[in-house]
Amino acid sequence: MKNFNLRDFGAGIWERSNRYQRIAIVLLVITLAALLPFAGASFLATPVAAYDAVLVYPVAIFVLMSLGLNIVVGKSGMLDLGYVAFFAIGAYTNGLLSMHTGLNTWEIMPIGIGAAMFAGVLLGIPTLRLRGDYLAIVTLGFGEIIRIVALNVSWTNGPNGISGIQMPPPILGKEFALDDQKLFFWVVLVMILLTIWMIRRLTVRRPGRAWEAIRQDEDAAELMGVPTLKYKIWSFTLGAAIGGAAGVLYAAKNLFISPEMFTLNVSILILACVVFGGIGNIWGVILGGAILGYLPDRIRFISDARLLVFGLVLVVVMNFRPDGLLPRKKREKALIKKGANA
Amino acid sequence: MSKVLLKLENLTMKFGGVTALNEVNLEIHEGEILALIGPNGAGKTTVFNVITGVYQATSGSVTFDGHNLAGRKRFQITGLGVARTFQNIRLFGDMTTLENVITATDVHKKSGLVGALFGTPRARREEKENRAKAHEILQFIGIDEYADRLAKNLPYGVQRRLEIARAMGTSPKLLLLDEPAAGFNPQEKVELAATIKKVRDAGYTVLLIEHDMSLIMGISDRVAVLDFGTKIADDSPAVVQNDPRVIEAYLGVPADAS
Repeated sequence: MKNFNLRDFGAGIWERSNRYQRIAIVLLVITLAALLPFAGASFLATPVAAYDAVLVYPVAIFVLMSLGLNIVVGKSGMLDLGYVAFFAIGAYTNGLLSMHTGLNTWEIMPIGIGAAMFAGVLLGIPTLRLRGDYLAIVTLGFGEIIRIVALNVSWTNGPNGISGIQMPPPILGKEFALDDQKLFFWVVLVMILLTIWMIRRLTVRRPGRAWEAIRQDEDAAELMGVPTLKYKIWSFTLGAAIGGAAGVLYAAKNLFISPEMFTLNVSILILACVVFGGIGNIWGVILGGAILGYLPDRIRFISDARLLVFGLVLVVVMNFRPDGLLPRKKREKALIKKGANA
Repeated sequence: MSKVLLKLENLTMKFGGVTALNEVNLEIHEGEILALIGPNGAGKTTVFNVITGVYQATSGSVTFDGHNLAGRKRFQITGLGVARTFQNIRLFGDMTTLENVITATDVHKKSGLVGALFGTPRARREEKENRAKAHEILQFIGIDEYADRLAKNLPYGVQRRLEIARAMGTSPKLLLLDEPAAGFNPQEKVELAATIKKVRDAGYTVLLIEHDMSLIMGISDRVAVLDFGTKIADDSPAVVQNDPRVIEAYLGVPADAS
């Protein structure tokens, strides 16, 4: 066990596989993930909350949001403490449109993503000239602004929130139901897979290089011809889009939203998922989001002490693995073959 | 004389009360190696920073290839054909040697994020071109064997060469080299001098900041000398070497005169 490294172990299997083996691995992993809702009778079962509901929120939604935040924080190195803003925008888009129009969840989805992206560009253009701590403070403020606006204006029903959000329409004849959330989990899983596909595509090509260069030395990147502001805004906007999508899904799952669901805590918790799992590494981030989403519900039987245990786990793990569970992949050998699947 | 590629006219750069550059005039012709020398703090790197858009000049103008560079963004200036290296190495350490150069070759590519996402034919073709070009440059500089090593793990001399290779990745007309031989031993300096000559012979124009006199005298066509932000000499190496003002700036007043 001395030199065992889960990240290198996984990457090793992947590199030794040929095209067909890789397809088989991908299908196997997707199948296993899709079968997760059936594992409710095993040791995975959550004691108080319904297991399949926990899988949707927090677990799957956290994973989705962590992937989105990872583009901003992990790939391009911008500390965003207001990620919840985009989540809230997505959720409120669903809430408001569902209340005032006859649109269903899937019709609202692109509008919600668009609204979050628009907010991302709007916030990004003036603020992404800032760096590091300054950017963190501005984004933190933005997250609070969205929540406080939702709390105080009348058209969002203020603190009462929006109830009566429509259940998503059936998919392939299968109805969504409150007491059986398997279908919903699969929908979020598809979103997660799409996001992974998108991130992997971008990472091996020009945007990934631009983000990586910006993260490592923004001045040098710009002097080597990288239009830094443009790629920072893209990064921010893509992160926002995924946050918005997560928000739409969350509202559709919960059927009720109110401002107190979108506090700074959510931003921090998602950031914790990213850092805990391994900042910059999508598999680490997925693991981080899944564990930090699942753990509080799994240990709910110790009731009041659970947040203490949760905090302790965080502290202990981060002490032993300061770069996260699966750190950013940067081994020289793996990169040689990177061109092959680019 | 061949055409003027870069022209600095009455360039002045002030930082608060400090005048880093004072009315500097400088021309660099296509295809030449011009060395910019001067004692520490003379303003050599400031010249580079003004040309590449890191600083905006207090007054005066920088004209490159017919374009006035004032007010342009840094990446736009790089796009016009000016590339630089850094005195203190600033490579992208967590990227491989090859990726460092590819990042620079992206500057002239059209495909952006959408092309990358959907794998458009243009994006695929440009990725291929980038890769081929980057390998070509690494071979030219002689460090292709390190292509897949992380930049931060490279030997010091290779990192210095990679700085040059990365700058060449942007297909510049003018290459600004900021102390490329810093920390080199005499043997490495000889090799570097040969490389710089080779770069010039391949059609690049080179503006070089350097301290090592033997290196400069061996390769430069012209030498400009800065002292306290003012240009005090601009001539062929042999003439500059014997210019009393240059000797004074470097060595202080000669013993027999004091």
